[in-house]
Amino acid sequence: MRIVCPFCGERELGEFTYLGDAKPVRPAAGASEDEVFDYVYLRDNIAGAMSEYWYHGGGCRAWLKITRNTLTHEISSVEPAAGVGARQVAR
Amino acid sequence: MAEISWISRGPLEHVLVVGAYGARDVAPGISLTEVRNFDLIQVMARRGKGAELANAAKARFGVAAPDAPKAVSASDVTLIWSGPDQFLVLSKGGKHAIDILSQAFSQSASLSDQSHARALISVTGAKARAMLAKLSSLDLHPASFPIGAAAATSIDHTGVNLWRGNDRPDGQPVFNLLVFASFAVSLWHTMLDAAAEYGVDIGFLEELA
Amino acid sequence: MITSQPNRLASGGLIDRSAPLNFRFDGKTFAGFQGDTLASALIANGVKLVGRSFKYHRPRGILTAGSEEPNALVELRTGARREPNTKATTAELYDGLEAASQNRWPSLRHDLMAVNQLFASIFVAGFYYKTFMWPAKFWEAVYEPAIRRAAGLGRAAGAADPDHYDKAWAHCDVLIAGSGPAGLAAALAAGRSGARVILCEEDFLLGGRLLADGGTIDGMPAAEWVSRTLAELATLPDVRIMNRTTLFGVYDGGTYGAIERVNDHLPSPPEHQVRQRLWRIVAKRCVVAAGAIERPIVFAGNDTPGVMMASAMRTYVARYSATPAKRIALFTNNEDGWRTVEAALGAGLQIAAVVDARPDVSAAHRALAAKAGFAVLNGFVSGVDGGKDGVKKISISLAGGARAEVETDGLAVSGGWNPAVGLTSYHRGRPKWQDDISAFVPDGAPPGMEAAGAANGAFGLGACLRQGFAAGAAAAQSAGRDGNAGAPPVADDEAFSLTPLWHVAGKGKAFVDYQHDVTAADIELAQREGFESVEHLKRYTTLGMATDQGKTSNVAGLAIMAAVSGKSIPETGTTIYRPPYVPVAIGAFAGQHRDENFHATRLTPSHHWAAEQGAVFVDTGLWKRAQWYPRAGEKDWLETVIREVKAVRGGVGFCDVSTLGKIDVHGPDAGAFLDRVYINTFSNLAVGKARYGLMLREDGMVYDDGTTSRLAEDHYFLTTTTAKAGPVMQHLEFCRQVLFPELNVQLTSVSDQWAQFSIAGPKTRDLLREIVDPAEDLSNEAFPFMGARKVSLRGGIGARLFRISFSGEMAFEISVPARYGDALVRNLMLAGKQFGVTPYGTEALGVMRIEKGHVAGPELNGTTTAADLGLGKMMSTRKDFIGRVMAGREALAARDRQVVVGIKATDSARRLRSGAHVIPKGEIPGPANDQGYITSVCFSPTLDQWIGLALVERGRDRIGEIVHAHDPLRGEDYDVELCNPVFYDPDGGRQRG
Repeated sequence: MRIVCPFCGERELGEFTYLGDAKPVRPAAGASEDEVFDYVYLRDNIAGAMSEYWYHGGGCRAWLKITRNTLTHEISSVEPAAGVGARQVAR
Repeated sequence: MAEISWISRGPLEHVLVVGAYGARDVAPGISLTEVRNFDLIQVMARRGKGAELANAAKARFGVAAPDAPKAVSASDVTLIWSGPDQFLVLSKGGKHAIDILSQAFSQSASLSDQSHARALISVTGAKARAMLAKLSSLDLHPASFPIGAAAATSIDHTGVNLWRGNDRPDGQPVFNLLVFASFAVSLWHTMLDAAAEYGVDIGFLEELA
Repeated sequence: MITSQPNRLASGGLIDRSAPLNFRFDGKTFAGFQGDTLASALIANGVKLVGRSFKYHRPRGILTAGSEEPNALVELRTGARREPNTKATTAELYDGLEAASQNRWPSLRHDLMAVNQLFASIFVAGFYYKTFMWPAKFWEAVYEPAIRRAAGLGRAAGAADPDHYDKAWAHCDVLIAGSGPAGLAAALAAGRSGARVILCEEDFLLGGRLLADGGTIDGMPAAEWVSRTLAELATLPDVRIMNRTTLFGVYDGGTYGAIERVNDHLPSPPEHQVRQRLWRIVAKRCVVAAGAIERPIVFAGNDTPGVMMASAMRTYVARYSATPAKRIALFTNNEDGWRTVEAALGAGLQIAAVVDARPDVSAAHRALAAKAGFAVLNGFVSGVDGGKDGVKKISISLAGGARAEVETDGLAVSGGWNPAVGLTSYHRGRPKWQDDISAFVPDGAPPGMEAAGAANGAFGLGACLRQGFAAGAAAAQSAGRDGNAGAPPVADDEAFSLTPLWHVAGKGKAFVDYQHDVTAADIELAQREGFESVEHLKRYTTLGMATDQGKTSNVAGLAIMAAVSGKSIPETGTTIYRPPYVPVAIGAFAGQHRDENFHATRLTPSHHWAAEQGAVFVDTGLWKRAQWYPRAGEKDWLETVIREVKAVRGGVGFCDVSTLGKIDVHGPDAGAFLDRVYINTFSNLAVGKARYGLMLREDGMVYDDGTTSRLAEDHYFLTTTTAKAGPVMQHLEFCRQVLFPELNVQLTSVSDQWAQFSIAGPKTRDLLREIVDPAEDLSNEAFPFMGARKVSLRGGIGARLFRISFSGEMAFEISVPARYGDALVRNLMLAGKQFGVTPYGTEALGVMRIEKGHVAGPELNGTTTAADLGLGKMMSTRKDFIGRVMAGREALAARDRQVVVGIKATDSARRLRSGAHVIPKGEIPGPANDQGYITSVCFSPTLDQWIGLALVERGRDRIGEIVHAHDPLRGEDYDVELCNPVFYDPDGGRQRG
């Protein structure tokens, strides 16, 4: 598999590490145990396009949000995580 | 009191043997040169300070810092892209050391000294690309990786910074490689293995040219 | 004495008669020529019998002339280079080649195991399942060893492969598999368009079927066209032709696997060269011009040596000038088979007869037969008379029902051609049936791939050229290369007429899968027993599961199944294929990564010095760490480690701890960031101070620990364990980039920048004062426990000093820029001589941390909480942090959790071992009363007995209780006392002193 890193260009799979589902959002401080439990453990088992976190640890160390079809491995989008580099994020 | 002396010893010092290696019946297709001493500073822009850092870098080095996988050189420094909003400053010892740059970029960037964290190896020769094809998954064809191209990539499961310098006077391409110091001996052996069939000429420089 | 080559034609062929070669087969010496394969050289020497079959040990000869060969498998080379199951049909001849037939005993001609044929009734489809079921315990003891002796193929070398292999990457716009007319035309079109082209050809010569079949292209003989084409391709800057290279796999994203047999054609690789090279080729587009494979017809005795594919027969004659027979019979169901007749007659051989299943043989062929004086019989070959010395006679069922016999010494068979659909079906693509050629053709292909020519079911020369050229041009264009491809090469299309014929019913074994000895009767039996689906058929009969993956057998097998189950072939369907297309040596996949290069290694800055001292190294992840430093006269490692521990506790020692992960955490929000990743608070840490930190996973379990120091308002220096250095960096980047992008913080690994040493023992300050600039105040007041700051060293270099202790002693960690690490140890040794300074390794480090009750890897095992480790009080209740909520779950805070506790044997002479289970005293060990286990043990020189740490239910509430340690693995049972895990200096006076 090859992934087009938005910073480095197309690279081979071995430079990347897979984390998993990018859909769950970490609950804010003060969230209930149930909410955090869902975030930590509950995952959809998707046959088709799935949003995933990948880490370009063997390259520029950017965390990427990738949409990959789990049936075909086709990657339809790659975007950097919100906090990559120095991009300003509202506080 | 005992005599205290601080002899700098690079990671390859005990394994690098100057001279010919590998096939002898051909003109060496590969030259490997280690550069032993240099300053190398990692510069990372702070949040929202990308533009400020770019200006500060331009003022400091006289060239714009790369904002894409490239290496740009000025008279006394090479700036090597190492990731989004970050680059490495490679220079001959002293002029762009951490303390000096920390002052220059104190408002816009976070700096880490990597001068001792990497070994710097230069690969050139008619077979340089053939040999690097055994180590690197990158396409180093001149159309894809021209002079000044840079990459943060992996070789033998470790991160490296690879960039193409100016061609040698005989027209052969020059690939420069920064590897983590603790991996340097291991990678060196891997490189010699990969290069042996082409004939290798091994050397080193005390300082960055 | 070298025999002459009785079956070699006087002239012609693509062999170099000026380069004679000698070789040995089964101990006998023969001669051949450069340009031969082992198979063609054996044929030239009249050798027909080359092996014994897998199950029945039937005599077998050479069936094909390519990589689809199921029969002619030999052990090639000798000694450590012996390679079993090598196809004689692709093994290039070299001077001194040695090969041996396999699967026979005591000799190929007199194989006692051929007795298996007498028991053929038990070796039918599914015989493993039917025969060796009972009694179960006989399987390992009796059945399997017996089967292993009787069945199977060649013998592995049994010694390490002395040759080298490597792996390389290649990149191109257009990758082409095959150098036949379609492949060369594709290369021409793509190359002229300006594309970067790689063409892989598994043969050592380029040209594919043109090498044997010739033809006319662009008005010139095919051979001339090939050489002109190669000459033109050589002028194009980015066209790379790789012969001896098989494209074997297709992977996601346009990545392909290829194996290059760099030096298989030599006795051994030249110095510094590899035997084989594994290529990973990244291509924007791929043209599969891999041709087609001629298929056998299944009839009784079709495995007799001397029965050969028609195309192979003419390949041996035309390309190798080697004659498999003098009086050839042809059994064909199609027009193409007749080429063999033409080739044989052209070489001056006799034709015994042509048996054509088609009633309508062309007038031209009938005229040829009349002229050459052989009969054309409309019918089927139904039996073969012959044996290990080859074919003698064939029986024929004529169309009208009559029978005939023809004397012949070689039967050429053509059942039509199957496009090589392997590569196109590797992404689960299922080939589709094409009626006019009665064959499966690709139905789509992996993204970016297109089949052309015979691989796409186009069997005419003109069509191959047209399709190849068009595919090459289109591939170049879609890769963005739109130069002028020029005119395509032109040739006529031969007629292709075929009457499907798969199986001739008759008495005697009729083989479908030669390599796995699967017969037509096996397929019929499988159908009767309900294994009708192609996937069941394959697994029940092992059809197509041999090393040739059924290249010659699959389609015939499916066709027979279709016939007996009353379905059409498309209804029956086909199995699909997996890479590799041809067997690939494991050595090639390993490449350089074997022996000491199995994985990359990391060396510490003091490695060379430690090696000079004779240190024993231990692998810790990728690192080599000094485990201990033996001295002359020490009888074992324990004596060494005891000395090292005592030297530290009584004086001063040092240990290289550079392997710890080190991360610079910069930025205005660095403290806030650390507050979120650690369970304890770092934002309130004073500059110049260090603090021990513990990280959890989001599920509440402990992830990692380490000491983090604040070097400036906006700069922390974080350390991780050696094992987790990489994962923690990744985790922190995730926190920074994904979870908390609002924080202004930057992370950089500085693990390799600093050589870091722990200096420990009551004389640590004395030693440091020899090294550190006299202006630096190291007193307890100026540099208290958990202080951390930059210092200057004598001689003018800067360093960092951290007053932290893992050993429980008065200790500092010192870091200097890595290239000074070697100098630092030498300085420490020199300056510390007066204090008896002692280098110590990871083993002594481990002993002292256990004595001190510090947890490490065995306790931070992914199942323990902070409270389990006795560190629950560190958890801040005033902030959010990773793992906080999940750590509060009921079960994670339960009273009966297994927690870290100290243990010591009640018998002080008893050695403890980690892994032993902890059971309440007096109870019979079992899962129901298993209360935990011993995690870490050591011999404590300080306490003069073995001690350890354990995870025990409610352990800290049971201090003083005697429990039972049960170690079924080592057969040990003994009592231990649960105790305070801090065995040494529990009030910490020494490390603060």
